[in-house]
Amino acid sequence: MSVPAMIHVKDLVKSYGPTLAVDRISFDIPAGRIVGFLGPNGAGKTTTLRMLTGFLPPTAGRITIDGHDVLTQSEKARAQVGYLPESTPLYPEMRVDEYLHYRGRLLSMARATRLRQIDRVADRCGLGNIRRRLIGQLSRGNRQRVGLAQALLHEPPVLILDEPTASLDPNQVGEVRKLISSLRGDHTIVLSTHVLPEIEKMADDVLIIAAGRIVAKGSPDELRRNVGQGARVVVEVKASPEAVERAFRGVSGVGTVETSGRDGWTHAVVNQEHGCDAREGLGQALCANGWQVRELRHETASLEQFFIEITAQQQQAPAGSAA
Amino acid sequence: MMLTLTIARRELLSFFYSPIAYVVLGLFGFGSALIFFSSFGPSEPAELRPTFEGLIWLLIFLVPAISMRLLSEELRSGTIEPLMTAPVKDTEVIIGKWLGAMGFYATLLSPLLVLVAVLEIYADPHYGPIFTGLLGLLLVGGLYMAIGTFASAATQNQIIAFLIAIFINCLLTFLMFFLPRAEFLGPGMKDAMHYLNVNNQFEDFSKGLIDSSNFVYFLSGIILFLFFSVKTLESRRWR
Repeated sequence: MSVPAMIHVKDLVKSYGPTLAVDRISFDIPAGRIVGFLGPNGAGKTTTLRMLTGFLPPTAGRITIDGHDVLTQSEKARAQVGYLPESTPLYPEMRVDEYLHYRGRLLSMARATRLRQIDRVADRCGLGNIRRRLIGQLSRGNRQRVGLAQALLHEPPVLILDEPTASLDPNQVGEVRKLISSLRGDHTIVLSTHVLPEIEKMADDVLIIAAGRIVAKGSPDELRRNVGQGARVVVEVKASPEAVERAFRGVSGVGTVETSGRDGWTHAVVNQEHGCDAREGLGQALCANGWQVRELRHETASLEQFFIEITAQQQQAPAGSAA
Repeated sequence: MMLTLTIARRELLSFFYSPIAYVVLGLFGFGSALIFFSSFGPSEPAELRPTFEGLIWLLIFLVPAISMRLLSEELRSGTIEPLMTAPVKDTEVIIGKWLGAMGFYATLLSPLLVLVAVLEIYADPHYGPIFTGLLGLLLVGGLYMAIGTFASAATQNQIIAFLIAIFINCLLTFLMFFLPRAEFLGPGMKDAMHYLNVNNQFEDFSKGLIDSSNFVYFLSGIILFLFFSVKTLESRRWR
């Protein structure tokens, strides 16, 4: 028998009345992986994560965490999970240390263990000088650290983080990202986001969800390779748009050319045919005409384009998936 | 059990950070002193019975003010999510919340001890009825608190939780008081309503009597409404 996955999800369905939020999704997450859930707002990410943590029961389907069924062995499964809910709900009237002690007690940790673990997570999440502060007075970034510390308190094998970097400033995003990356290997981490660079930098695997379904999965590299014709060349030259378009169309490998003129300059976006690299030909065309150039840029395909493409396809036919 | 106490402890401490708690504390202290001194003077019996019987009406409104935030606040702010995803049973959450609130309620009753001291200074009170009266207040408060916990589990809006609890409390007091006076009710119905009336059940306690049937009434009421609370909390997961 193969090694059972840390998180096993089979035919998971969740409907809120007539609305289908999650539509028969299945996946397995092996121990130690960082998996990113990516999708537009309202795609079913939070609903899926809430079902993984046992907060919401599925309408149909089965979830096991480390072999424990989330519904029938709920408490055992919940003990394996550290969870950071969306928007990090905390009690504003408590002090940071007081809150961590409370969480520790809820996890049935003995006092000595609690003290040791609180020191450990406080150190890891950089809580050093805010441990005596009231949670209600903390900044967004610090609240997020407390939320993470709380999730890590009992060193759970599974960490579920719902939008861990939402509404943080770029510095804080960097810190949280670094922290999550430092947990690699010790924990199986599931995180959701609608911010793409985050997933590209942190996750081993990506699941893209749209309209309650998994529309793509794979490593960020694999997904990027699928994008195919995403690469394009952007050029800005001093010439009329018509002349530029005529010149570029003649180059081999060029698919479509979009031009727009302003103050005597032309901004051209050249989409290449699948698998072709038209840069050389474009350069020759520019030299042959002797035009002044102020920009020549090659845009490689990013997950972003893939994401937009694939979720746009889904949105064109959402009625079929909801039926 | 430990988890229940953990939740109760947090709940009790958090009361002292909420402004409503101090308003309730003030109102109760003021109300009890007012009722006490209106029947305090030479030739009056040295007892707290009129105070108890007045306070019992005040509790209809004051206890819901304590209980309204118990679960509504967690539901509104989302803190219910980390709580319910911790390895804790729904029953432990509800009993913990109720116990914590009862701890605060016990604090609320403490100014009554000052009134006992006043009686002791000016007269020679009978401690029996004072003791049973306090016990009765605790049981009435416990029932109203269980009703309030149920109301609070039903909505994330504290005002609605407050009003639902007052409504149920009024059913058990005003309605059960006035309805038996209606002509069309049979004697069986009248007896049943007399039995369900909280104030009637409290009467024995304020007289200094301890009757097991009164205990059965209050304890079964508390268990019933705490059970409803657990079911209401559970049902949120299925909606």
